[in-house]
Amino acid sequence: MVSKTEEDQLIRLENQVENGGGGAWEYLCLVRKLKLRRSDKVFKYGSAILSDHKKRSALGPEEWTLYEQVAIAAMDCQRLDVAKEYIKVLQGKFHDSKRVGRLEAMLLEAKGLWAEAEKAYSSLLEESQFDQVIHKRRVAMAKAQGNLSGAIEWLNKYLEIFMADHDAWRELAEIYVSLQMYKQAAFCYEELLLSHPTIPLYHLSYADVLYTLGGVENLHAAKKYYAATIDLTGGKNTRALFGICLCASAIAQLTRGRNKDDKENSELHSLSAAALEKAYKQESPTKVSVLSSALRSLKVSS
Amino acid sequence: MGGESRYEIHQSAYIKLVLHALKHRTSAVNAVLLGRSAAAGVEIVDSVPLFHSQIGLLPPLEIALIMIEEYYGEKGLSIVGYFHANERYDDFELGGVAKNIGDHITRYFPQAALLLLDNKKLESLQKGKDRSPVVQLYNKDASSSWKLVGSDASSQLALKEPSANVVLLDYISSEKWKDIEDFDDHLDDISKDWLNSKLFN
Repeated sequence: MVSKTEEDQLIRLENQVENGGGGAWEYLCLVRKLKLRRSDKVFKYGSAILSDHKKRSALGPEEWTLYEQVAIAAMDCQRLDVAKEYIKVLQGKFHDSKRVGRLEAMLLEAKGLWAEAEKAYSSLLEESQFDQVIHKRRVAMAKAQGNLSGAIEWLNKYLEIFMADHDAWRELAEIYVSLQMYKQAAFCYEELLLSHPTIPLYHLSYADVLYTLGGVENLHAAKKYYAATIDLTGGKNTRALFGICLCASAIAQLTRGRNKDDKENSELHSLSAAALEKAYKQESPTKVSVLSSALRSLKVSS
Repeated sequence: MGGESRYEIHQSAYIKLVLHALKHRTSAVNAVLLGRSAAAGVEIVDSVPLFHSQIGLLPPLEIALIMIEEYYGEKGLSIVGYFHANERYDDFELGGVAKNIGDHITRYFPQAALLLLDNKKLESLQKGKDRSPVVQLYNKDASSSWKLVGSDASSQLALKEPSANVVLLDYISSEKWKDIEDFDDHLDDISKDWLNSKLFN
């Protein structure tokens, strides 16, 4: 996950390089470190460095890491000619390298030669059973071919071995959500919450899934997790504040006539609504009236 | 139901849809269409790009629809359709989420149009002088299922301004998609304008 400061730094560097202010190498390193997908920029800046002999030799041994990074970016941009060229360079330098072998298999993938790529990955796995990247490529290939149930199967197998990979749990949850398999998505977020109970994003996503599942019990639970998100983010999370309002409104509709925790429900609702109005007045003044009407309609239906 | 409806989409509404899809090319995106019924059919006057992540979740969608209806209701426009772009380039299937959202919209506007981005058409836009929109049109038929309105829907869905695709190509080459803001962006930072009021100025 990327923090706000890291995101700001990335955007600043991107603008700097785009406007000719230099810093391309710094940008490429940051993208690599944060494992982001900025293939068009990486390809543009990276190939510019690699095709300049002076800049290339100034990198020293990092030259090879750059070749790998730009080859992958090239494949993502469907510039297979360039990718092939860079992989050849790496092959020349590192004979019989499994890491280069991985790139060759990725090139087969990029060409859409799924069977050949699968064969290549399988043979690579025989030698290095626990190569996470190759396992993940398998999931990616299934996804790319539209075989979502296959992707889910591979991803579940992966998580049995690498159960601490929270990005993989998130990926699985997102695939489940896209297929409207909300109970399974909830399970993934529960796993994430167990291992990372202080990350607000997981509380928020779990709340969203619970609300989507619906039913009074899930709505009450969702409200708790939205509240936890607000707690962990110092009250600044717009999505969680809206979530509270939605939950309170939906709960009130479903439990009409039963007065159990009406007071607590509406108090939380009012607090969240007030927090939203305050935030909008400060940062989005043109939308204040739309917000107020929206919040009013949620109150009316509650 | 919507079988014989004719739709006309304004340039700015249309371009926003495609630019939004291009900004987030590695994920599925969606949008709502705003407009009104007219004598000749349905006029799609504007569009609001919604999300580019976790499209199948209800809370952000519900908030978006409430706010959008409040805003456009005052202008005499209502939600008349839905736009969806699949994650994968060659995926021409109308998924469950898109259908569900389409169903919901149809409950309030029976002739709702469901538009699916046609990536192949978008790609060949550069080469041809195609004046039809780069989307597939779906309507709900008598049996209440979503049907593709012929592979060449240009007779039922037309661009109001005939040069819309030319303008679109121009924006694409100038990478205008960078400036588009959707509801996801707004929820992450409320200063982002989902109306995109300054986009074409």
